[in-house]
Amino acid sequence: MDSCLQEEAAAKSRAGQAGSDALPTLRLPCLPPGLCRPASSHEHKLNFQKSKEMCLNYIQDAMLQKQWKRAVEFLTFYIEALEKDFSREYMGPSEIIWRIGSEILWHHSHNGMKEFNSFIEQMKTLAIKRYLKVCLEHVFHLLCNGLIDEAYQTLSLAESWRHGEQTSVQDKEMKLIEAYRGLLDYYSWAKQKHILLEHGQDGFEDLSVEQEMHSCFRKAAVNLKEIIKIPGVWDPFVKCYVDLLEFYGDHDEARQVLNEYAYNSKFPANPNAHVYLYQFLKRQGESKKSLISALKILHDSVPSHELMIDFNTMLQKSKKRKKHRLGLEVIFAALDYAGWKENVKAWSCLAKQLKQIVISEKHLDWIKQEWNSRRDWWPAFHFSRYLAKRNWQENESLSYEKALVAGILLGKDCKYFKYVSHQGCKAQVKRFRMLKKFVNKHNPVYLRISGLSDSSVPP
Amino acid sequence: MEFPDTLFPSYFGAGSLREVWGPAPASGWGERGQVLGAGPGRRQCRTAFVPRRGRTGESWEPAEAAAVPVLPPNAGCWIPMLTPQDILCHGILRKKLRAGKFRAALDFTRQLSHFFVDHPEDAFGSLGQLLHKNFFLGDSKLTRTARDTTIRMTALMEEIERLEARRGCTQEHLVPRLRWFSHICRDWLFEVPLGVLGDYVHEELLLQCADLLFNDSPTGGALAWLPPEDAGARTGRLVYPGGQAMNHLYFQDVVLEELPRAWGSPAQFELNGRIRQVAAARVDGEDFIGVRSDYHCGVWRVPGRIVAAPTPLQVIRTSVPASCLTVSPHLPGELAVCTQSGAVYLWSVETGLQRLRRDPQTMFFRDHSPWRWSDFTAHPRVLSYADRTGLQCLDARAPERCHFDLFKVGEEADCQQGERVMLPMYLGRAHPSHHLVTTQFSVYVMDERLPLVPMLKWVHMMKAPPLFAHLTPGESGRSHKVLLGASSTQELLLLQYQGGSRSACQLVGPPQKLHSIAGCLQHLPMQLPHCHHLLQQRLGAPAAGLAATLQNDRSQESLLVFQLSEAGDVFCQRLTHKMAQPPARTSVDEAVAAPGSSPLFEDPASSSLGSGSEEEEEEEQTFYLSNVEVISNDEEDAGTLAAPEEAELPQEPYASLQPALAGPSPGAALRYRRWLKALFKVCREPPRHYWLPILSQKRLFIRKELQSPVGPSALHGQVRQQLRQAMREKGRIQRWDTPDALTPTLTQHPELAEGVDTLSTRLTAAWSGDWVPWWEERMSFTMAQRRRALRERRRQQKRARSRCSLSASFTSSVTYQSELSELSDAAPPPLSPGRPPMLPEEGSPLRGSPLASPAPDEALLSSQSLRSRGIPKERRKTLRDYLAVWAEGHPEPPEPPGSQASQLCIPSSQSSQSQLSSASQPRRKRPRMGF
Repeated sequence: MDSCLQEEAAAKSRAGQAGSDALPTLRLPCLPPGLCRPASSHEHKLNFQKSKEMCLNYIQDAMLQKQWKRAVEFLTFYIEALEKDFSREYMGPSEIIWRIGSEILWHHSHNGMKEFNSFIEQMKTLAIKRYLKVCLEHVFHLLCNGLIDEAYQTLSLAESWRHGEQTSVQDKEMKLIEAYRGLLDYYSWAKQKHILLEHGQDGFEDLSVEQEMHSCFRKAAVNLKEIIKIPGVWDPFVKCYVDLLEFYGDHDEARQVLNEYAYNSKFPANPNAHVYLYQFLKRQGESKKSLISALKILHDSVPSHELMIDFNTMLQKSKKRKKHRLGLEVIFAALDYAGWKENVKAWSCLAKQLKQIVISEKHLDWIKQEWNSRRDWWPAFHFSRYLAKRNWQENESLSYEKALVAGILLGKDCKYFKYVSHQGCKAQVKRFRMLKKFVNKHNPVYLRISGLSDSSVPP
Repeated sequence: MEFPDTLFPSYFGAGSLREVWGPAPASGWGERGQVLGAGPGRRQCRTAFVPRRGRTGESWEPAEAAAVPVLPPNAGCWIPMLTPQDILCHGILRKKLRAGKFRAALDFTRQLSHFFVDHPEDAFGSLGQLLHKNFFLGDSKLTRTARDTTIRMTALMEEIERLEARRGCTQEHLVPRLRWFSHICRDWLFEVPLGVLGDYVHEELLLQCADLLFNDSPTGGALAWLPPEDAGARTGRLVYPGGQAMNHLYFQDVVLEELPRAWGSPAQFELNGRIRQVAAARVDGEDFIGVRSDYHCGVWRVPGRIVAAPTPLQVIRTSVPASCLTVSPHLPGELAVCTQSGAVYLWSVETGLQRLRRDPQTMFFRDHSPWRWSDFTAHPRVLSYADRTGLQCLDARAPERCHFDLFKVGEEADCQQGERVMLPMYLGRAHPSHHLVTTQFSVYVMDERLPLVPMLKWVHMMKAPPLFAHLTPGESGRSHKVLLGASSTQELLLLQYQGGSRSACQLVGPPQKLHSIAGCLQHLPMQLPHCHHLLQQRLGAPAAGLAATLQNDRSQESLLVFQLSEAGDVFCQRLTHKMAQPPARTSVDEAVAAPGSSPLFEDPASSSLGSGSEEEEEEEQTFYLSNVEVISNDEEDAGTLAAPEEAELPQEPYASLQPALAGPSPGAALRYRRWLKALFKVCREPPRHYWLPILSQKRLFIRKELQSPVGPSALHGQVRQQLRQAMREKGRIQRWDTPDALTPTLTQHPELAEGVDTLSTRLTAAWSGDWVPWWEERMSFTMAQRRRALRERRRQQKRARSRCSLSASFTSSVTYQSELSELSDAAPPPLSPGRPPMLPEEGSPLRGSPLASPAPDEALLSSQSLRSRGIPKERRKTLRDYLAVWAEGHPEPPEPPGSQASQLCIPSSQSSQSQLSSASQPRRKRPRMGF
């Protein structure tokens, strides 16, 4: 019987192996313990690869515990891994050494930049496949340490580097290198502009400085223009490029760049792109209409953006009813977000607008429509008794604005309104008494908003 | 809600991954990412740049050398987990796994045979009843009449038992009789259709195997900390599962002191299933706690006042296991539930369940995993919905129409191949629109306002996917602390980031590894091996949860990190905030030993475990990287014997190269002692014993043959008496074999010595260059030796056959004399089936003459002794041949010296080894010589 079972099972387990192929598994960084054992006993004799891995583990372990010195000691052994670097893995030992080495030198270096530079120079020749990446990171490090001239030199050197066929990664890195060089050119342009403007006030003009400034402009503009054509987040580059263009009066180009950056669907939905466009339009003194349309698009993608207050104020100032309506929508939508919960400005905007509508008794249906989708959760989210207490303690004016909104939307029996007005009256604050009077007077509005009026109170 | 006015530059690609590359070992280090001009560079002459990664962060130093238990060990002995050895044949071939192809050799045979052994009634019940009249299992012969309808199965049963006894033995032969029987019966003997049963078993095995690789059910973690309502108070509450099946929910008040201490007894709820996840959020001063088990989810409310008791609010039942439960930080009594059928519900205690989506398919590309997750976002009506391929945000008011993609595994976030979402988390307490997304390779911070583009990305380099995360928000410009925890390896990583509102997000400070629970093992007092093993298993259990709290105490700020293990133990560690940070810290580094004296060289086993948790089974491996040399010295046989045991050991997640840290503080040491005492009280059960191959001699002779011809002799009496005495003293039985010397180990020494000698001479020969002549010499020597031994044996056999009666009379006379002179041990004791080691060992300084104490195989082989056991003449030869086969069947040295177990189990093979060695040669002859 046993033998039979074994045969059956052997067949099964073969089938099982075939079947388990079909089961896709998660790709894990490391196999769970106990699952990996060498396949044959002769596979791992004198296993260089394995000792390499082990050494790397020790290095990682030391680094994660901030024992930089210990990590360095292990790293010196790890360098031997370079001798037999036949791996075709994505990340060879040379790149690992570069990464670990520079990380250690950031945190544990006595000689500072000098040591770091000499290490990186060695790494540049070593990790030839990642030369551009190493250069870029070197530049970043130099920039963070304020060594802008050295960084510029490194960038120029890296730009002229050629090695074999360029991969797409290298292509991207090269573009970045050029862009950063453009950025540095822009900064030197800005510096010279600053000098020129200061001296210009003295009535003294320096032609050489001006020439240099213009050459900087050209270099910067060429490189910056290139990178912002590629889809991505290029906030600093776009800002600098637009600044250059504006200075030289090329407003059409600037507008085109900003429009492209904001509205090209290949680019990510970056709120800053809209902000830059809006600010540019504002600087250009564009009409209210175009400003509003720019902000409307921002509102559609990011209703919780801080510019929504400006947008609301702008809409309020407008004479059109439609704009007023939009303004109400905007401020309601902003206050939906947890981040706006305690924003006094937003609450006062809403309170002001609601008050206007209630007093005029026109367009109560706007409030009703906005309130409909919020009535089931705003009371718990904004107007709970707990929040009333806390707001009263922490921010009196916030509680005032909120109590007004609560009184209009939820009536005089609302917990929030009751608590705050009671406290306010107790503290003898005048505006709270006014508030109470106002809400009591306009309580029927609440009934109409909440839809109770249809049956009980005639309009 | 401010948005940073300038973001770090980055490329944005759409679509699937273009770059094909796998996980790289150190890719998290050494990168600044990008830089950003900090000041508005228009009017400034000099611009300062800030990096995306690598600015110095806050310094948090561990206060203790290891994690310290907070609560007494979980009562109810923990059931050990499934190990790969339970269901896999030979482990998984590593290379294939690396290549991404999962090919486990499932031990299907064993599992299926377990079924037949464990449920014989189900498998063979009625057929057995039908057939039992026709099968005869007795010893006696069948009568002629019965022979027509009945078959005698005794021999077959014996064969089966022998097979059972020899399981695991390398010399396993299939017996023709069994083969014949199974061929005849295989089609009709089982009642359960074998194909169907096999399919189910196989399916279950595959599932279990996949779970061994990666189990996502504890995602989110089952530990929660409820902070006190006012920040100054020091009593918080810990919510965690416990009990034997982890189905009890505890709410324990904990006082935060130097070491957190339980206060009072916990509120306890018994639930209907194993608790997988405990999620908590505070809304309006009340804590809401969601508890997820496979088919039930429940919600509790704890009022802010610390004395108030938790009240259960509502329970829902799901038909498909739930995979996620999160509690809304915005609205009281609102939760998000996901099930493995791909459905996501908004669960409100007041209004009930609202299904937002149900889609068994994954969102962005096809992935097999049914895991789904959901969390809240900055908008209380918008929920995030995640599967392994990415995250979407759904508006609960119109889930079909209003949604947008927040995170996609693909080119957008520059993901790696095979990368999958492991755990999304809403970071609302740090920034209202931030989300954390962890994958098995990286960690991302996403902003709802700029979807698809990571605000922050870092390759975390953890060995197992992070399944737990915890956020400690930093107030007023300080960094936010994110803790990431992995389950199977217990890894714990502390990251810091800042920004998000005014300035762009930056990762600050180096990542920091925190203590794992298993790490405290080295600080515990020394234990007996089996206790140590128990402890190792217990402490090495996968992590099941993570919680943390910030504590301000006398201007000393500290972060308390709680960890829960799957065994139900809660450990804690304290990190203290160092305010003034010197630029180069050398204090830690100096305490560290140079690598030459590091523990690397002390414990090869553990260090080899650390290397990507790899086990060695080779005879001798030398890996070298000139100074980092690890030699693991496992003899082959010891390796196979110890393999299951070794694999059981919980493996330390990282290389166990802890630098020589100071030991635990007195308080912590006291905690450890108490915890250990309680643990051993709780777990009285002895540790599991591992099955060792045993060659049973039980069925060598049937009982009748073993019955001794005479009644209980004086020897029996004495043996019994000694046995009783040993039992009274709770001593060892070996004592009365060898009261005065360590003889069991002695037998091996000559051989070992010879082995070493051979090796050294061989090496010497090889060194001097004349290895080939040495080998030839050696070969001829061994050949000659073998020939001599063979000749000798033949001579003996011949002699024994011819002088049977004489030798018998000789030995019997000796026995008689020895009995007279009260040398009770001298006579070969009756071969009791269960205890072969009672045989006196050769060469042992016993109280008898060498003549009177023949070697055990001698004793067995001598025809006199065989006859005295009533073995018929015709069988004696068979027996002798049998033992002779054993004598030659083991050319390799099977055991390391001092391995007690094998000595107890395989006496015959051992003595046969010594036959081969020249040292045992004269002994064999001696009795005859004397004759």
